[in-house]
Amino acid sequence: MHRDFIQALLSQDKSLLYPLLKGEATEKAVRFQVYQNNMVVSLQDALADIFPITQRLVGETFFRAMAREFLLQQPPTSPIISEYGAHFSDFIRHFEPAQSVGFLPDVASLEYQLLQLTHAAEVNTLDHQSIATTFDKTPDPSQLLIELTPNCQLLHAPFAIGSLMLANQQNVSSDHIDINESEYILLHKHFLYAKLSVISFDQACFIKALQQGTTLANAVPESDDFDLGGSLAKLIEWKLIRNIALMTD
Amino acid sequence: MTTSLLNETQAKQEEQFSASCFVSHSGVSLKPAYYQTILENRPTTGFFEIHAENYLSQGGPAAYFLRQIRQHYDMTIHGVGLSIGGENHLDIEHLNKVAQLVEEIQPAYFSEHLAWSTHDQHFYNDLLPIRYDKDSLDRVCQHIDQVQTQMKQPILIENPSAYLTFADSDFSETDFLREMVKRTGCGLLLDINNVEVSCFNQGKKAIDYLENFPLEAVKQIHLAGHTLDDNPVVALKIDSHDEAVSQDVWSLYQYTLQRLGDCPTLIERDGNLPELVELLAEAEFADRIRHAVKQGGLVNAS
Repeated sequence: MHRDFIQALLSQDKSLLYPLLKGEATEKAVRFQVYQNNMVVSLQDALADIFPITQRLVGETFFRAMAREFLLQQPPTSPIISEYGAHFSDFIRHFEPAQSVGFLPDVASLEYQLLQLTHAAEVNTLDHQSIATTFDKTPDPSQLLIELTPNCQLLHAPFAIGSLMLANQQNVSSDHIDINESEYILLHKHFLYAKLSVISFDQACFIKALQQGTTLANAVPESDDFDLGGSLAKLIEWKLIRNIALMTD
Repeated sequence: MTTSLLNETQAKQEEQFSASCFVSHSGVSLKPAYYQTILENRPTTGFFEIHAENYLSQGGPAAYFLRQIRQHYDMTIHGVGLSIGGENHLDIEHLNKVAQLVEEIQPAYFSEHLAWSTHDQHFYNDLLPIRYDKDSLDRVCQHIDQVQTQMKQPILIENPSAYLTFADSDFSETDFLREMVKRTGCGLLLDINNVEVSCFNQGKKAIDYLENFPLEAVKQIHLAGHTLDDNPVVALKIDSHDEAVSQDVWSLYQYTLQRLGDCPTLIERDGNLPELVELLAEAEFADRIRHAVKQGGLVNAS
């Protein structure tokens, strides 16, 4: 019986459900519509909460129409609704009416990753003072291993979606952004909430090397433009350093 | 409810915090918009109720503020995703997560719905109706047993809001609930707004429904607002939770308490959220009715 109900919820085909219900045909339609409406609207609202910038970029009407198509094709697989939409980005990539906004799937993917990072368990990191003390006590800081928190993720986006997201989050104009420029983006957690920072290629190489467990000396990219002091200051400001240890043979 | 009561409640919130708890004072829904106000002002209220499924993350604001607020208030946990009335087996992984939350938070009660929301690996984010037949009863009782075994405590099951009726039912809703209580030992959460909504939508009298309801098993009451869909085919009341409690629901509440005796009560709100003080004023009004009924008196619900 529930299969017939679901078929009616997701399609226009009520032929199996209606014989199971009491009442006149027109009345059944109005009554059943309440359930269908509850499901569609609540999931559209959920997707709008999870993908607010995606909605802002295409407008509410377009977004809700796109969300409706998605939720009817791919209803949630978990009652934890904040996890819904893992495949929304892929859906948008193949959604014909959204093809003119080539960067939209990447924005949706970024929003989803940010929300999941927000919901990830917080991890203690070192404060400025303890990091400074360790550096001061170490004869050769270049041999230090800087362990980063698992709550930081590096992305290389084909579009300037990090800058676009920040402009939208801060409610400032995005006119100056060349959306076709690729960007390196770092997702990290500030207290309870995930944030994003647009970083340079050198900084991305540096952070990736640290994530792979190389010493500070080996993590510094071979680039005249790289600012080690400034990059370390950012790691401290963003509270990314979980532990510092001296490389042992 | 009057504006003067709202002002009075606001004034009371500024007074010194007095001991109140789940049993003695009515509570309100906990929503993220209220986190800061609650921790800063510590308003007087009996308890806060959360939806389990919104608090299962390992981190982030929901996990953090829940535990902060729990230090100062009683809580109840209301599940919206176990799909007790589903045809499939319960989702064990999800049940484990919810049971873990209940174990940690130690709510006064964990409650769920006489409804289903999951089928063949998909979750439909709505409380869908079950047919009141023997197969449903067996399944529902088996699922309740499973949840109660996992949580090592009796749970409460809430009466649904209904918009349609199945043709081949073996039981009335109240008989189904009575049999379910008898078989599983669970308690009931009587949602009086759902009574008003369902009875209106099915052309029945709410008073008759309440007369037949197994009140002896009721451990908690929900009050909420509804909206009217005045369409030309058949007017329907929608259990929207986005309005203040309506006058007809307040009247039914008073009527219920006169038969049931005092009962912990929640003002449930999920949408169109007002300032917290407005919800607290509704909880205060519920307390005024509870007090009056205990004294053998009546409160004008208008």
